[in-house]
Amino acid sequence: MKRLVVATLALFAALNAPAQDKALLDKAKAEGKASFYANITAVEPIMKAFTADTGVTGEYTRISTSKFVATAITEFEAGKFMADVVQGPVPVLEILKEKGVLASYRSPAAKGYPDWATKDEQITLFGIEYVALVYNKERVKPADVPTRYEDLALPKWKDKIVMANPANHPTTIAWLIGLKENVFKSEADWRKFLDGLAANKPMFVASFGPTPAPIESGEKLIGISMPKYIVTKAPAPLDWARISPMMGTPRAIGISAKAPHPNAARAFVDYWLSAKSMGILAKDVGEYVLAPGVFPPIAGIDKAKVIPIRELSDDETQKWGAEFKKIFDIRK
Amino acid sequence: MNQPRSAKLTWLLIAIVGALTVCPVVMLALGSFSEGLTAFGVFTVDKYVGAYTDPAFRDVMLNTVVFVVCSSVLSTVLATFLAYLNTRTDIPFKFLFGILSIIPMMIPHLLFSVSWALLLNPSNGLLNLGLKEAFGLEEAPLNIYSMWGMILVEGLLDLPIAYLIIAPAMASFDVALEESSRVSGASAWKTLFRITLPVLRPAILAAFILGVVRSLASFAVPSVIGMPGRVPVLATHLYEMIATGFATDYGKAAAVGMSVLAASVTLIVVYRALTAESERFVTIAGRGFKSTVIELGAARMPLFAIVGVLSFVLIVLPVAVLLYTSFVPYSMVPSARAFSMMTLKHWRDVLGDPISILALKNSLFLALVGATLGVVLSVFVAYVIVKVKTRAAGILDSLSYLSFSFPGIVIGVGFMWFFVQTPLYSTIWALLLGYIATYLPYGIRPMSSAFIQIHSHLEESSLVCGASPFVTLKRVIVPLLIPGIVSGWILLASMFVRELTLSVVLSRPGTEVLAVQILRFSEDGLWGKLSALGIVMIAITTALVVLASWVGGRFKTAWGR
Repeated sequence: MKRLVVATLALFAALNAPAQDKALLDKAKAEGKASFYANITAVEPIMKAFTADTGVTGEYTRISTSKFVATAITEFEAGKFMADVVQGPVPVLEILKEKGVLASYRSPAAKGYPDWATKDEQITLFGIEYVALVYNKERVKPADVPTRYEDLALPKWKDKIVMANPANHPTTIAWLIGLKENVFKSEADWRKFLDGLAANKPMFVASFGPTPAPIESGEKLIGISMPKYIVTKAPAPLDWARISPMMGTPRAIGISAKAPHPNAARAFVDYWLSAKSMGILAKDVGEYVLAPGVFPPIAGIDKAKVIPIRELSDDETQKWGAEFKKIFDIRK
Repeated sequence: MNQPRSAKLTWLLIAIVGALTVCPVVMLALGSFSEGLTAFGVFTVDKYVGAYTDPAFRDVMLNTVVFVVCSSVLSTVLATFLAYLNTRTDIPFKFLFGILSIIPMMIPHLLFSVSWALLLNPSNGLLNLGLKEAFGLEEAPLNIYSMWGMILVEGLLDLPIAYLIIAPAMASFDVALEESSRVSGASAWKTLFRITLPVLRPAILAAFILGVVRSLASFAVPSVIGMPGRVPVLATHLYEMIATGFATDYGKAAAVGMSVLAASVTLIVVYRALTAESERFVTIAGRGFKSTVIELGAARMPLFAIVGVLSFVLIVLPVAVLLYTSFVPYSMVPSARAFSMMTLKHWRDVLGDPISILALKNSLFLALVGATLGVVLSVFVAYVIVKVKTRAAGILDSLSYLSFSFPGIVIGVGFMWFFVQTPLYSTIWALLLGYIATYLPYGIRPMSSAFIQIHSHLEESSLVCGASPFVTLKRVIVPLLIPGIVSGWILLASMFVRELTLSVVLSRPGTEVLAVQILRFSEDGLWGKLSALGIVMIAITTALVVLASWVGGRFKTAWGR
């Protein structure tokens, strides 16, 4: 009898799930489009696939991270928030949630994601902006490739490192704090590493975007950068140092509380979190995603341990930015 | 024009220009005094206290003063030198040098800075490698990541603005003044320093001031060259302020921006005081006017060589680097291998990308329509500023600089705070109005320099002879203003083709523009695509410059009859 009930429930669920999807899709189609605010590379293939598969037009507005909160809140308060779905680093979505910009939605497509990916009713994590030591494989001998983060502080790397400015680049600040909390045994060891890294006089750039070019050209040999550039900048001679764990800030997605197209918004989030979309994101852009079994086409990534960094508040980011400014003697 | 009519025109222009430029600045002022992240919040002065008590602020300001003054001096001196040779002498290949001196304006500043980093970085900069090889040096002799590197690159970027302001004034210069000096026994040098340069003072000062204001607002050079060189200036200080964290407080950045605004307005007041007796600078009056060519004689070829080398090293080389970067699959030092790997992939990607094509169309529309409307407005504003010497004219002059003076990193947000309150938000019209409002001085300055040199006797004679003010404007003033109009249109159009600071905030799906596409490529580190699109941008701007020069020439011939 028990088996029969379970089987009946399973059959009901199986028959009902597509019906629910279809109902949602029909409503979404009637709304016409889903507007997506984000700052993520080359997602046009996903927008195209979404439009083709669902009949709902996906419209992407790319907004720089530094302007994201200002734009979203300005539009929201003026009653002109045009986004149905927003995507960004978790702290950005947390700020939007606090301001009442996000609605609750738990997507069935996040089934199979790690438990910590469903942060709460409003925010779902789908990827990690993973950071690694990326080097020029034509200029760095295999024996010289760092095997520990500490190796980057060795004098042999003096004037050969590029990294985003640790005084103001939030992800780099969070990554350095991630090293303290997840890699080094003591704060003294971590400080020693920072002093060594600073003594190597890394070249600072504004963000991760400009980090791979000097490595490719040989201006610098190694950098604190993102392995995804191995995909997007192929055939550049880039590789990543296999050091565990790899860390990064989580990327998240949520639905607008005043979405002009609420059903299209849900349909979009479902589609975004599906294995198909995450596969495109991993394959075309080299992103590290949380969909089970989906990896970017980078040698060794499927074996890597990638962990999310603790989210830092803005106060904490600014405090550590000021501290790193002193350590790296940035004003001199 | 009679006085009541002038007063009416002045106040009408104050209303138009004021509406365009004051609103975003007022929004930023409100934001700087408001708690929270938008323009409207509980009153506070905390943002000012926080911004101005930052211990780093003093050093930043010191660096900023050195950076802006030196780069503006460099651009003004170079522009004066090139404009003189180009407009007044028989140096060969004039047209080419004219185009070359405005090329840096066509290149996105970010790309121009990156090109210089590729040439002069101390690790493997091409020029450094060449110098090391040539002189057997151990270390790279030059390091672009320094204050002098920033001054050099910013000076070159501001050179076209200075050139386009000084060249028309130089072209309208009545050589009879110089001839009188020479007849009185003065040497060529004495004539240059005692007659030519003093008469051109308004144009030279205008170029210098515009250079100061632009370099104050510049972000590309401080970011690409200053940041690796650890030379913080105001723009990077502001960037640090808004980039450290996610809840970006533009109000605090606006609080710092207010001092830049105050400095710029002060400069404009000083400029007006220094050129107050504008009759002293008039060179085209009712009498015969001629602008003859000075024969350089034995100095012709050496000067040609100097300008040639200067143009090659300062302009051709960075553009060549861009072209090269667009063909190699990734950032590579030139070598046989690099040339063997050249590909059209970046070009195919860019030209096959529908958003890039839409961006191209939008930018072209904004350049053509925006520059034309901007020039029309500028003619009237410049007329009032120069010819109607009332206090209201002074107000109009300052108003025209308001949005322009604000650091670029912040002004876009001011426009967003303003336009979001209107139905224009997220339309191409918001971009059009924002562009004209912000870059109006690019249209006004070349025209005021030209107006200053046209004596009011010409206008009065026409009116006395029975011509209406419109006919006077059409038959007398405009033909003499053509060089200024062409310069203003070129400055505005090429600025609009590569405008980024407003576009990055105001552009939305359907209103994408070229510079925002370029920024996306830069954020993703895709230098090849970025260079390819940059070259498309240079090609479009070159076409616009040639078109403007050709139309200007035709009009001058037709209207002068």
